[in-house]
This record gives sequence, structure tokens and C-alpha cells, in this order.
Amino acid sequence: MAPRVLIIEDHADSRELMHFLLSRSGYDVICAADGVEGLEAARRTQPDLIISDIQIPRLNGFQVAAAIAADPNLRHIPLIAVTASAMAGDRETIVRSGFHDYVSKPIEPETFVVQIARFLNPGTGL
Amino acid sequence: MGEQQPIDAFLLEHAADAVIAIDADRMILSWNRGAEDIYGFTAAEAVGRPLLDLTAPDDQAAETHAHLDHIFDASAGAVGSFEGLRKRKDGLLIYIASTGRRLASNPAISASAAPAVVLSDKDVTHARVSRDSKMLENRFRDVFDLMPDAIVVLNATGRIVLANKQAEDLFGYSHGVLVGEPVECLLPERLRAAHFGHRANYIRHPRVRAMGIGLELHGLRADGVEIPVDVSLSPLETPEGTLVLSAIRNATERRQFETQLRDKNAQLAAAMQAKDRFLATMSHELRTPLNAVIGFTGTLLMRLAGPLTEEQERQLRTIRTSGRHLLSLINDLLDLARMDADKLDLSMERIDCQDIIEAVMTALRPQSDSKGLSVILEMPPAQLMVWTDRRALTQIVTNIAANAVKFCDHGTVRVSLRSLPEAGSGGVAIAVADTGIGIRAEHMPTLFDAFSRLSADGAEREGTGLGLHISKRLADRLGARIEVSSTLGAGSVFTLVLPGE
Repeated sequence: MAPRVLIIEDHADSRELMHFLLSRSGYDVICAADGVEGLEAARRTQPDLIISDIQIPRLNGFQVAAAIAADPNLRHIPLIAVTASAMAGDRETIVRSGFHDYVSKPIEPETFVVQIARFLNPGTGL
Repeated sequence: MGEQQPIDAFLLEHAADAVIAIDADRMILSWNRGAEDIYGFTAAEAVGRPLLDLTAPDDQAAETHAHLDHIFDASAGAVGSFEGLRKRKDGLLIYIASTGRRLASNPAISASAAPAVVLSDKDVTHARVSRDSKMLENRFRDVFDLMPDAIVVLNATGRIVLANKQAEDLFGYSHGVLVGEPVECLLPERLRAAHFGHRANYIRHPRVRAMGIGLELHGLRADGVEIPVDVSLSPLETPEGTLVLSAIRNATERRQFETQLRDKNAQLAAAMQAKDRFLATMSHELRTPLNAVIGFTGTLLMRLAGPLTEEQERQLRTIRTSGRHLLSLINDLLDLARMDADKLDLSMERIDCQDIIEAVMTALRPQSDSKGLSVILEMPPAQLMVWTDRRALTQIVTNIAANAVKFCDHGTVRVSLRSLPEAGSGGVAIAVADTGIGIRAEHMPTLFDAFSRLSADGAEREGTGLGLHISKRLADRLGARIEVSSTLGAGSVFTLVLPGE
């Protein structure tokens, strides 16, 4: 079974881009448009990886990270931030907030899938 | 004698002077019509009350007392004179010339056997004002007329003894009319009563009071129009006593300017806030659509959406290059805007220079590799730490190293880190040397200007023209400097010199 990736991103075009890249690479992709929807999807579908934008409605990326860390059923799932405000200092803030890594926008399609794949358990077949 | 008395009473009643009789306790025994006219109290109000309570200004009480004692102590029939200030019922001060005669006890005016005094007070205010006025006119009029401000001089009774031309113009009076008038005629009705008090205080404790110390004062023109004024006060010592000089300025314009300035400041603060909010959202909003542009161009180029012709691929590469260029323009402009708004918050920390250099050169690896350049890092054996802002340092090193790669088509980009030779300075120098095209001497002066895109070989090279400008400004903020040396055709060296802790 293909690894499942949850994308939490409010911007439709960005969501479609990541969905396209990851599903083309053989992942089972689930999308959510805001923090609350994202957390519900995470609990419902138990993904292998979660990618979340930082500036999203209802619950922002940091709040999503905190909620996932507080949930015993979710806290093992690798969490990647995607952000347009990628400054050198932000990386530490993001990592300190419970994310395993971050991808800065604009997403470079050539490297995005490789970067994501590093966080998926090699045992899943990819 | 008996027939004489009604005539005496008639004369007494109609004398122009105030004729007042008091007993040894200074209680008023008699008060004629002249006294009513001068002091404003009726006989019914005055008789039976202490004279000093009624007519002596607080600060004149002791002096008046002494004068009366002097008369009472004299033998019967003796006469004593006194000139000084008295208070009217309406609060206005007047000058009086008073003559007192001590009488033996007289049943005609008092039942008691105690002695009494008859005072005859003449209102000499007008005479004093004209005297003071003449004295001042002679001495100061020419000087006062040359002053830019309206000048009004008052005597101790608060009457105007001199008003210069500017004062007459400001308040709309013709020449000489103001002299002798109480200064309150220049104030709006509602402020007059309070002004009596201020004035009396000032006369007791005169001191220089400068103009415009946060008071909103108002004047009244002859035509009834109120004007905002600034007033300065200073005591003016003369042989005839202390006068008060007040310089008055029309404050209409100043207060308008102040109001405008306040409004403008509020607008400016609101605009700055709007700008801050704008900057904060701008970063996100501008980059988001570019994410789709650059991203989907990439997926097309990766042929994830299907095969491409050579021409399609060429055009897609142009879109991607332009998209990336737009992205770096946006990033640079946001940095500039942040610097202009002083929103660039530096967080100073101890940083390992080698870490920064290695991270930057790793990020530039795709570009340097694709051009076949060899990148050499010359690092000192020991760690070199500096006290600086990580983001700013990274950005400067990135900019100068990216320029080296950009303007070097073959050869070497050499990045060296060394501590500065000055003993104990703790400063470090990061030098980026390339074997590129070099910089023309005439380009050197504008190298760090915004949008200065200079290329010695005239070839079109990717870039915003903001990199060095931003680097220079960041270096300034860090207390660092960027040095440049270059040989046309042989290469350039950019050296960032960071100060010690």
C-alpha cells in the first residue's frame, strides 16, 4: 500500500501542485484547506506524513503542530512545514515548534519529492 | 452752628472725594456719596464694617494700618497723608490720595468717647496712569513701536499705561484709546473675573513668564472677535513702582499649525501602521501565486504532464527564469522596505563564520557546478566566532558569493576566512575572490547603488540590481564594511570586514 501523505494548505494552486507531484510519485494524497480540517483528516486517515503550510486559517501551522504533538495517536507522524516566509531565523522557530523540517515556497518540483521522501519510512517500499 | 449743620451735611454728601469717618477700631462710622462713587459700596454696606477689610488690598493692609496708626497716635487736629492702592467693590484696584485728620471724641459722629479719624480719599488713578504713561511714552514708545510683538504695559492697578502700535493694531483700537483702560478690556468677558485674581497674584510675585508655555490664551478685539494669543510677562521696575510689561502675539497661525501638525502626525502614524501590515501580508501574498507559476512550470519541464517539444521546453525555461527573477526582486524589495521602515530587527548572537560560509556555498553549489567553476574554501584551523545577526550575515555572504559565481564563467571562486591582524580586535574578514570578468573603474562609484546592474562585458546576467545595495546597508547595520578590489578581465575580490565584539 502506498504511503499516505496529508497536505494542509489553504491556497488551492499550491495544494494542487503538491497533490500533483506527490500523487505522480505514487503517494496516497489527502488534502485539507485549514488547520481544523487538517487535524480531523489526520485523526481519521492516520497518514504517514503531514505537510502543513504555516499561514492557514482557523488553526495556524504552529497550532496544528502543537495539537499533533499533544495527540498520542498522531505524535509519531513526521511533520513538514511549507512556508513562504522562509528566512534563515525562521527555520529554528519552525523546528522548535515541533516540525521535522521545512520546505520553502516556491516549491521546487525537482527537489520537493526527494525532500519529502526522506521522511517516509524506507520500509514502506519507496 | 445749628443752621450751619444741614449745609455741612449737604456739602459732605456732595463732595467729590470719599469722606469717611472711622473709630479707633477702624470701624466705619460714616460713608458719604463720594465714597460710594469711588469704592462702589453703599453707605448701608459700608457703615459698621472694618475699613481695611472693605478697601485695602490684601498686600496693602499692613501699610494702610501703619498710616492709620500714625494719624491716631498724633494729637487731635493733626493731619496725615497717604498715597496708595485701594480695592473697589468690583475688585478693580485704584490709586487714592488720602488725607486723614484726627478728631477729639465727638458726640456728633460717635457715641463713644474714643477718638475718631476723618479720611478724605481722592481717586488719583487717572492722574497716576497719565503720569506713568507719559514717563513710559517718553522713554520707551519708540523702542516699543519697533518691536515685532504687541506690547501692553500695565501699572499696579491693572490699567494700561502704554500700548504700542502693534498692540493697537492687533486689538483694533485707534491710537491712544487703550491708555487708562483696565487690561481686562482686551479679554473676553468670560475670562475677566479670573484675570483679576491672576493679575493681583502677579503684581505680588512678579517674575518673567515666557511666551507659549502650553497656555491657550484668548484676546478680545475692539470689534468683539476673539483671537488666540500667546502672552509673555515681565516686571518692569521704574522709580514710580513696578509695572508689568506683556508682549502679546497673535497665535492664530501657530495654533493652526499645531493642529495641522497633530493631524498630520496621526495620519503618519496610521500610514506607518498600514505600511507595516502591508509588508507583513505582502511577503506571503506575492510569493503564493509565484509558487504555482514556478511549481507548475517545473512539473511541465519534468514532463510529468506529458511530453514537450523543444520550443515548448525553451519557452517554459524562460517562464521559470522570469518567475525566479520576480521572486528575488520581491524578496529584495521587501528587505529594502523593511530596512527603510527600520523593521529589520537584528538579533545579535555568537556565530561561527565557517558554518555560514559552508551553508552559503552549499546552496550555491548547483550554479557553480553548472558553470564548471571550482569553489575553494580557505578556512582557518581554529573556529572564528563573531557577534552578529545570522540572517544579515548569511544574506551578505550569499549576495557577494552569488555575484562571484554569476560574473565568473570559468576558473575559481575562492572564499577565505581570516581573523583581522589588529591585536585583540576580534574582527574577521570574509573575502570572496573570483577569476571573473572584473569591474570597470568607472563602475566602482555606483557599485552599491540600488538597481545598479553593471556588467563589464555587457552580457545580460540574471539579477535584481539590489544585492550589493542591500548587502551594503546590512553591513552598515552590523557595523561592518564591504571592500572591493578588481582587475578588469582578471577578477574581483569582495571582502566583508566584521568588527569584533
